[in-house]
Amino acid sequence: MELQPLYIQILALVIFAIGIIVAVARRNLFFVLMGVELALNAVNLSFVGFAKTLPAEASVTGQIVPLFSIAVAAAEACVGFAMVIMIFRNKESVDADSYSDMKG
Amino acid sequence: MLALVYFIILAVIAVGAALCVLLSRHPLYGALSLVVSMVSLAGIYGLVGSPFLGVVQIMVYAGAIMMLVTFVIMVLNGAKDKRTPMFDGVSFFIIPAVLVLAAMVGFALLRSTMTFDSATVAGSVKVTSETLFNMASTGPGYFLLFEVIGVLLLSAMVAAIFLAKRHLGSVISENTEDKH
Amino acid sequence: MTHLPLWFIPLFPLIGTILLGTIAVVSSGAKKGPSEGLVGTLAVLFPALSFAVVAILACSMPEAGFRETLCNWIDIPLFRADIGFLFDGLSRIMLLFVTGIGSLIAMYSIGYMHGDRGFARFFAYINLFLFSMVVLVLADSLLLTFLGWEGVGLCSYLLIGFWNQDIKNCKAANKAFIVNRVGDIGFLLGMLTLVTIGGSSLLNYDGLAAFINMVIGAGEVVELVLPLSLAGLLFFIGCTGKSAQIPLLTWLPDAMAGPTPVSALIHAATMVTSGVYLLARLSMMFCLLEHVLLIIVFVGMFTALWAAIAGLLQNDIKKVLAYSTISQLGYMFMAAGVCAFDASIFHVFTHAFFKAALFLGAGAVIHSLAGEQDMRRMGGLINKTPVTACVMIFAFLAIVGFPGFAGFWSKDLILERIFVSGPILGPIVYVVGLATAVITAVYMGRLIIMTFFGKYRGDKETEEHIHEAPAVMLFPMVILAFGAIFSGYLWADSIGLTFFRDSMASVVGQAQALYLAANPAAHVNPVIFAALGTLAALGGMYIAWKVFSRARIIGVKGASTVPEGSAASWTFLWDYIHCAFIAVVNILAWFCDVVVEKVLQAIQWTIAAIVEILGDGASILQVRKVRLQLSFSVAGVALLVMLVIFSGGLV
Repeated sequence: MELQPLYIQILALVIFAIGIIVAVARRNLFFVLMGVELALNAVNLSFVGFAKTLPAEASVTGQIVPLFSIAVAAAEACVGFAMVIMIFRNKESVDADSYSDMKG
Repeated sequence: MLALVYFIILAVIAVGAALCVLLSRHPLYGALSLVVSMVSLAGIYGLVGSPFLGVVQIMVYAGAIMMLVTFVIMVLNGAKDKRTPMFDGVSFFIIPAVLVLAAMVGFALLRSTMTFDSATVAGSVKVTSETLFNMASTGPGYFLLFEVIGVLLLSAMVAAIFLAKRHLGSVISENTEDKH
Repeated sequence: MTHLPLWFIPLFPLIGTILLGTIAVVSSGAKKGPSEGLVGTLAVLFPALSFAVVAILACSMPEAGFRETLCNWIDIPLFRADIGFLFDGLSRIMLLFVTGIGSLIAMYSIGYMHGDRGFARFFAYINLFLFSMVVLVLADSLLLTFLGWEGVGLCSYLLIGFWNQDIKNCKAANKAFIVNRVGDIGFLLGMLTLVTIGGSSLLNYDGLAAFINMVIGAGEVVELVLPLSLAGLLFFIGCTGKSAQIPLLTWLPDAMAGPTPVSALIHAATMVTSGVYLLARLSMMFCLLEHVLLIIVFVGMFTALWAAIAGLLQNDIKKVLAYSTISQLGYMFMAAGVCAFDASIFHVFTHAFFKAALFLGAGAVIHSLAGEQDMRRMGGLINKTPVTACVMIFAFLAIVGFPGFAGFWSKDLILERIFVSGPILGPIVYVVGLATAVITAVYMGRLIIMTFFGKYRGDKETEEHIHEAPAVMLFPMVILAFGAIFSGYLWADSIGLTFFRDSMASVVGQAQALYLAANPAAHVNPVIFAALGTLAALGGMYIAWKVFSRARIIGVKGASTVPEGSAASWTFLWDYIHCAFIAVVNILAWFCDVVVEKVLQAIQWTIAAIVEILGDGASILQVRKVRLQLSFSVAGVALLVMLVIFSGGLV
C-alpha cells in the first residue's frame, strides 16, 4: 500500500472538524482562538496534499498559497489576541458566554 | 511503503494532539498540545515533498504564533477562571452538526479520484522562490500578493498595538515611561 | 387655397368661448357683472362670423364637397386617426341652420338674460356649445364626431344647470348628462365594433363607404350582416340617448329647467338632432341592416305616439313643447328606419325653424308674464302681445302640417315614404303616424288656445305688467317664423321643387338607391297623402277648439305644474322603469360593499396571519449566545450540503 492523496485529505478533514468543535464547544476564550488556528492548519494541509497531484510547475502553488495562509493566520492571531486583551479589561472574564448580547 | 508508515505515525500524533486541545482544562496545556500538532503537521509537509513549507510552519506557526498565544495566556492569567464549565448544551449540539458536515465532505472526497502525479517537482527553496518572485508580466503574479502580505502584517501590528494600549496619554503609560 | 379653410368654421365660436370665458372669470369677483353691451356684441359676433364663412363655402361647394385633414391625432400600430373636416351636402345644410339659428338665439338671449349676473358665463357656454356642435357636424370621422358629441352633452349639462343656486336645476342637469352617458357607451362600443370588423379606417366616413362598397362588390354582405347589425344597434342606442327616444328619453322634459333660449337652441334645434344626423352619415351601413332598421322604425313610432299623448297631459308650456320635440324626433327616426334619410334630414331642417320659433315665443310669453309657466294661469294674451302670438301661431300651423307651411311638406313626405316602404308594415306604421299627427294638432292647439285666447286667468297685478318683448327678442323670432313658413319650399315634391333632395343626393343617395333596389316601393299619388295629412291637421285643430276653447280651467297660484294621477303614471312611465333598473344596481352595490369587502378583508387577514406565524417561527433561530448561533450556521451548512448531494447535484 502506498501513500494515497486521499489519506492526506481525510486527515485534513478530521483535523478541521476537531478544530471547529474546539472553537464552538469550549467556553474559554483562548480555546476559541486556538481552535481557529487548528482549522487553518488543516486547510494548509489540504492544499499541500492536493499540490502533489498536479504536474510540474503547478505543484509549487501548493507551497505558495499555504505560505500566504500562514502569514494571514499570524496577522489574525495578533489582532485577535489584542482584542482578547481589550475585552478582558471590560469584564474580567474569559467566558465566551458573558459576551452574548445578541438578542433583545 | 515507508512513507505510509511515517505518515500514519505523524497523523496519529496530530489527531491525538488535537483531541488534547479539545479536552484539556488549562489553556496552557491546550497551547502546548497545539504546538505538538503543528510540529507533526510540519513533518507531514516535509514527507509529502514541501520541505520549505514545513520549516516555515515550524518557524512561524509553532514558533512565533504559539509563543504569542502562550504569552497572552500567561499575562491574562488564563487559569484563574475555575468557574467556567468546559462543555455545555451548545457543545452537544455542535458535535453532531460538524460530524454530519464532515461526513458529507468525506463522502464527496471518497467519490473523487486523486492520484499523485509523477511529474511533480519537489518544493525546494529554489523552485519556490523562482515562482514567488517571478515578476514577468506573463508570470503567476504572486509577487504582488507577497508585497500586500507585508502591508497586511504591518497593519495588523499597528492595530494590535492600538487596540491593546490603555487610554492614550493615560497615567499608567506615563508612569512606565517615568520609571525607566 | 381656392376656398376658405374649413377650420375657420369652428375657430370663431372657439375664440368666442375663450374671450367670453376670460371676461366671465375676470369679472367674477366684482359685484356687478361686465358690460352687457360688450358681451352681447361678442356673443353674437362670433356665431355670425361662423355663419358667414359657412354661407360663403356653401355657395361655392362642388358636388363632392370639400375635405380637409388638419393633423394626425392617434398613430399607434393598432389604430390610426386623423383630425379632418368634411363639408358635403349633409354637413352644409346642418351647419347653415346650426350657425344661423345659433346666431339668432344668441341675439334673443341678450334680451332674455338681461340683468342676470351670469350674463358672460351664459354666452361663453353658448359659444362652447356651438363649437362642439360644429365639430360634431363637420367632422370626417366617427372619433371626431364623438368629441363633438361629448362636448354638446357637456354644454347641455352646463346650460341646464345654469341657475345653479336651485338644487332642482342641478338635478336636472345631472340627469341629462348621466342619461346621455348611458347612450354614449353605445356609441363607443359601436366604434369599437367597427374597428374590430375592418380596422381603424372604418371610423372615417369615406373609409366606411369604401368598405361597404367593397363588401357589396365582393358579395360578402351576408357574412358581415351580423357584426354590422351589432354595430348599427349600438350606434342606435347612442342615438336614443342623444335624441331622446325610448328608453333614454327621461332627461329631455327635465331639461326644461334651463333658460328658454337654451331649450330652443339645444333641446329643439341642434343637439337632439345629432342622433338623426349620425344615422344619415352612416346611411351606407344602415341600408344593409334590415333588422336594425325595423327596430328603428318601431322605436320611432312608439316614441312619437307616447310623447304625443304625454304632451296632451302637461300643464307647463315648456313641458308641452319638450314632449312635442320628442314626438317629432320620433318622426325623424321613423323616416330613417325606412331608409328615407333625406326626408328625415329635411324634417330636421324644418323642425329646427318652427320648434325654435315656438320655444322663443314661449320664452317671450314667460318673460311678459314675469316668470309664469303654468298654462292654466294664462289666456287672452293675443291682444297684449300680438307679435309673439303671430309668431307662435305661424309656428303652430307649421308643426301641425297646415298646407303651405313648412311642416306640411316635410311631415307628409315622411308619412308617404313610410307607407310605401312595405306591403304590410308600411300602412300600419302610417296609420299610427297619422294618428300621432292628429294628437299633435290637438295638444298644440290646446297650447295656443290656453295661452292666447279666452280670458286671462292669472292675477291682476301680473296682468298690468304684460308687455311685448323688446326688439332684440322679437327680431330673431320673426326671422324664425319666416323660416317656419317658407323653409318647406326647398323640397316641395308635389310642385316639383326638389332643391333639398338634390343637395343631399350625393351623400345619402347611394344608400337609398341600394335599399330601394332591395325593397321596391309602390307608386302612389302624393296628392292623396297631402290630403290625408291636411285632414289630420284640420281634424285635430277642430277637436282642440271644441274641447278647450270653452272648457273651464282653473289655475291656482303657486300650484305645481306636475300632472297627477293617471297622467303622472303615463308621463313618468320611463322614469319608473329606470328606477327599477337602478334598484337592481343598488342591490348589486350593497352586495359588493358588504359581502365582497368582508371577504376581501378576511383574505387579507389570513395572508397577514400566515406571514406573522412564519416570522415568529423564523425568529426562534436567533439566539442570545454567539456560540449557539454559530452552531446553527454550521448545522445549516450541513443541511444544505446534504440536500445538494442527495439531489444529485455535485458528484
